[in-house]
Amino acid sequence: MTPSKTKELALKIEDVSIAFGGLKAVDNLSFAIERHEIFGLIGPNGAGKTTIFNCITQFYKADSGSIHFINAKGKETDLMDLSVHEIIDEGIVRTFQNVELIRELSIMDNVLIGAHHVMKQPLLGQLFNRKAIRKDEAESREKAEKILAFLDIEHLKDLIAGSQPYGVQKKVEIARTLMSDPELIILDEPAAGLNDTETKELAMRIKQIRETYQTTILLVEHDMRLVMDICDHICAISFGKRIAVGTPKEIQSNPEVQKAYLGEEGELE
Amino acid sequence: MKKIIKNPYSHFILLGLVLLTLPYLAEAGAIRNSTVTVIGTTIIYTIAALGLNVLLGFSGLISLGTAGFMGLAAYISAYVTETMALPFEVAVMAAIGIPTLLGILVGILSLKFEGIYLGIATLVVAEILREIFINVTPFTGGATGALAGRPVLAGTFQLNRIQTYYLIVVVMVLIFILIHNLTKGHLGRALNAMRGSEAAAQAMGVNIFKYRLIAFGIATVLAAVSGVLYVHYVGLSYPTTWNLMLSLDFLAIIVVGGFRSIFGTFIGSFIIFAMSELFLKPIPALANITPLVKGILIIIFILYYPNGLANIKHQVSHWLVRRKGKRDAFGQTKAEKKNLTRAEVRENDTV
Repeated sequence: MTPSKTKELALKIEDVSIAFGGLKAVDNLSFAIERHEIFGLIGPNGAGKTTIFNCITQFYKADSGSIHFINAKGKETDLMDLSVHEIIDEGIVRTFQNVELIRELSIMDNVLIGAHHVMKQPLLGQLFNRKAIRKDEAESREKAEKILAFLDIEHLKDLIAGSQPYGVQKKVEIARTLMSDPELIILDEPAAGLNDTETKELAMRIKQIRETYQTTILLVEHDMRLVMDICDHICAISFGKRIAVGTPKEIQSNPEVQKAYLGEEGELE
Repeated sequence: MKKIIKNPYSHFILLGLVLLTLPYLAEAGAIRNSTVTVIGTTIIYTIAALGLNVLLGFSGLISLGTAGFMGLAAYISAYVTETMALPFEVAVMAAIGIPTLLGILVGILSLKFEGIYLGIATLVVAEILREIFINVTPFTGGATGALAGRPVLAGTFQLNRIQTYYLIVVVMVLIFILIHNLTKGHLGRALNAMRGSEAAAQAMGVNIFKYRLIAFGIATVLAAVSGVLYVHYVGLSYPTTWNLMLSLDFLAIIVVGGFRSIFGTFIGSFIIFAMSELFLKPIPALANITPLVKGILIIIFILYYPNGLANIKHQVSHWLVRRKGKRDAFGQTKAEKKNLTRAEVRENDTV
């Protein structure tokens, strides 16, 4: 089931394929994401979920197919024309499966990196620390503090990111994405490594982020309870192929999905 | 007042003022004149090393060509002022502009690939430059070297040895301030991000190629500034000066002094250059083992103080508090208390 035509689309993925050597990691995959929805991508290990993320954010260039992003103003962009570092200018920002922070910097500095593309600071201005630069820095800091407060980690802002527990590091990564004024946030296994309480908090946060920051969210996750709880639509893939798209209920009762996760009848795994 | 003490600019200016008093101390007989010369040279090396520290410390790239670019600037400045008899200011522009353009060209060719290629490319360029220094005699004077006078500012003010030393100190303080401005904010964050996680940096919009090039450009400019100051302070330039050994000394400065630290670069430069000139070379038995001492220092620092001397103060203060820490009303020392509050913060947050 594709999202109904009356709703605005944010991301259209059509017939995307990518192969590594002989292995087709993603095989003719298509799905579409509506604006302001939380969309889940699920599948067994090695199904190609992170590969798809990397194709959207242009870390990998898909062999064929098209990936289009429609921003809040209605402008449609072919993401495959862009370089990795240009993706964020379109309003698309991601987190990583294994938290990618700058370990020896403070949490504040890590979050500020999220505003890199928003801050237009000419090199000469920085060299002489012009007033405009100082103002820009102060404003960004204020914004970062607000985001950290929103995630309840403002009191940790001056501590070194690398020495923080995993749960905090994951929050810092989310704070960094919020710093970039995102329209689409792509979360790669946000609950991995979190305990039960933390996962519950995360579910609440993701919903909050969508409301407060008016964003669309695409996530890959293995924690089925989280996915079923927060997603509006889910796409299930296996071996790079789409096996089902639908609401959490539809996905849960889909025999193909059950087969992909649990194996054929009679098999153990 | 507190604001002034905390402001890093005032630290740099204070260091500059202290260095400015050295010639007076020499005049008063408290230190030797040669000591002032050694410190002046050390400051010059600090400038080149600081450029390399921006490249290596912040962006994580390595250059083995610092000496080559420094030498090129030295020869150009000597040639423009002596042979072409053009003003010092013109020489400065040519001697900084040409190596920088060459550096950017090398960067464009090598930085598209993995960072390590920059190390190889710069080594090759430095070796080619060294051959040029030896063989293109009309320009470099070959093995006998090129001579240069002390700077003449605005065509009228002929500086003497001590005034040139003052000029060097002032340039150093200015460069410290400018590099501090560049690295503490937007650019510094982008470079840090690039070193910390290339993937995250790219995802946050950092154009890796552009920022690598900027970092390498800064390193080249500072190497060139350093070369210009060198040739007009020391008065001559030999091809043997600009060899790989010197480039490796710059790396040693950063390892010993501390990655990403401006003061650390100065301290490292003092240890690597000034210590051996002032304390080892005057003792005949030790004069020849300076490379050995440097090598041992590098090993010690990599093994035990990988953050360099700049960060040793935290370790020392921690240790002092531990040893002498006065117990407060709760029977805790300052250090214990600090650790405790940190632990509490962590506990509260993991929920």
